[in-house]
Amino acid sequence: MSGPGEKKSPKGPRSLWSDGWSRFRKNRMGMAGAVIVGIFYLIAALAPVLTTHDPVEQGDIPRMRYHAPNQQHLLGTDKFGRDVLTRILYGARISLLISFIAVAIAAVLGSAVGAAAGYIGGIVDAVLMRIVDGLLAIPRIFLLLTCISLFSGSVWLIIVLLGLTSWMETARLVRGQVLSLKGMEFIQAAEALGVGGRRIVLRHLIPNTLTVIIVAATLRIGRIILIEAALSFLGLGVPQPTPSWGQMIFSGRDVLLSAWWVSTFPGVAIAVTVIGYNLFGDGLRDAFDPRQYV
Amino acid sequence: MLDRDVLLKVEGLTTEFETEEGTARVVDGVDFEVGRGETVGLVGESGCGKTVTALSLMRLIPDPPGRITEGSVRIDGRETLDLPEREMRKIRGNEISIIFQEPLSSLNPVFTCGEQVREAIGLHQKLGRRRSKEKAIEMLRLVRIPDPESRYRNYPHQMSGGMRQRVMIAMALSCEPKLLIADEPSTALDVSVQAQIIELLLDLKKRMGMALLLITHDLAVVAQMAERVIVMYAGRIVEKAPLDELFTNPAHPYTIGLLDSVPRLGSVKRRLPVIPGSVPDPLRLPGGCRFSDRCSSAVERCTIEEPPMISITGSHSSRCWLNERG
Repeated sequence: MSGPGEKKSPKGPRSLWSDGWSRFRKNRMGMAGAVIVGIFYLIAALAPVLTTHDPVEQGDIPRMRYHAPNQQHLLGTDKFGRDVLTRILYGARISLLISFIAVAIAAVLGSAVGAAAGYIGGIVDAVLMRIVDGLLAIPRIFLLLTCISLFSGSVWLIIVLLGLTSWMETARLVRGQVLSLKGMEFIQAAEALGVGGRRIVLRHLIPNTLTVIIVAATLRIGRIILIEAALSFLGLGVPQPTPSWGQMIFSGRDVLLSAWWVSTFPGVAIAVTVIGYNLFGDGLRDAFDPRQYV
Repeated sequence: MLDRDVLLKVEGLTTEFETEEGTARVVDGVDFEVGRGETVGLVGESGCGKTVTALSLMRLIPDPPGRITEGSVRIDGRETLDLPEREMRKIRGNEISIIFQEPLSSLNPVFTCGEQVREAIGLHQKLGRRRSKEKAIEMLRLVRIPDPESRYRNYPHQMSGGMRQRVMIAMALSCEPKLLIADEPSTALDVSVQAQIIELLLDLKKRMGMALLLITHDLAVVAQMAERVIVMYAGRIVEKAPLDELFTNPAHPYTIGLLDSVPRLGSVKRRLPVIPGSVPDPLRLPGGCRFSDRCSSAVERCTIEEPPMISITGSHSSRCWLNERG
């Protein structure tokens, strides 16, 4: 994720971004997380090239179903004779797509609400923050289940719902940052030069909170992947036959003892991805901690 | 002063802040003018309302809790206190600019200094990308930043305090304002840099023909720069005089106290005299003259009745009963 504040820095002078980046590179766990995340995106992008089987096409079911991992099917086959490895690789696409876009929606919406509340203050702040409190009080999984069962499930519905239910924490975070930045002299100096309110928010406040927003978003991606898996496991996630990790675990639950590979490998994929994102996010937080601003 | 020579005319300016304990009147009925191209020093201890006066002129008082409750501020004859915010924005940076005390935190940490100067230019002038960058580099050169082309790409944290103050000056002057308010422009800098900044301001003022309202507690800076001096105490103007007159013939006991407390080279006094006490809390002002509780020449009348501004000569006036003639 790169934000508008991320400029190609010229040689010589170092921006906060390049400073933070060089701190990040020294953080081994963070780098490991970044590599894991990078690999998953690569896999997702290259899934058709890396796989030899079709993710959706059902094979000769009686003959092909529940093959244990072998040379032909490195991670075995599922109930419909489909290659588990292939489906995991394609599943990466859907998991990463859903989590990335949902978090992007949440980050934009949360930043906008938080910045507006913090900068305008007064009644606007009070109203927006009470809305946030209210939404945080609704158990998300029930909200999601209700909405998905009311409207027929589709990938985009899930993305939008996940995005709309996870912006509140970002809003709080950004509001806090904006409140503390608002009192800083450079904001007053900008106002003294005749900079208007919208420009102050977009050019002076948001770029100064961008690292916080990105760190929060990265950590949130892991959680969104888990929620999406949970929804799919409940049968309300990505509709069949599109491969999704949660739904693959779900489909293997009956045969967990006899054909353990059907559920286990997608589970491992989820765990590794989420751990990767969390390590990456923690590393980013250490590198771009706003308290290290000079 | 002839009307057409007056650039800034302030009358009865009053700014209040709501606090939990009540309404604090931090600036109380302040009147003064600044002529075109003139340098006026606004002097007083910290907490006397100098900075609030400056922010009121810019209409940058944080509201709430602050509010300008009374008075008039005219720039070039045009009243600004009742302008809509949108119109006021066109005046800020364009007709009046301000530079602040803290050059360390007055620049946005995530953009390069050059970008910020360019933003200031772009706010009031329509110039193309390349043209505005050239202008920004020109401004950096004008404020005597060495090697402005490469300094353009520096971030604030890569610059020294003096350099940052220069960038601030470049931003403030980028639209050639008619009036520059300098709020303690050199206080946060070390002494040798202070001198450079003051010299730079004087030079730029002469070159651009703008007026300068210099806010400071440092009488040495005032002596170097100002043509006229306004002394403030507890939200009130207590003395106005041309520079020489103020130094040779101060009329208000507070001014006399301020002048006495400046160390002088070759002075034989062993101890510097100081004014006892401190600026009163705006919520608990003494009755009568606000300086009466610290004044060594106070008489009974001073604690009962506040003196008006009393004229001494044409351009010299003071808020003290001692100056009443007859």
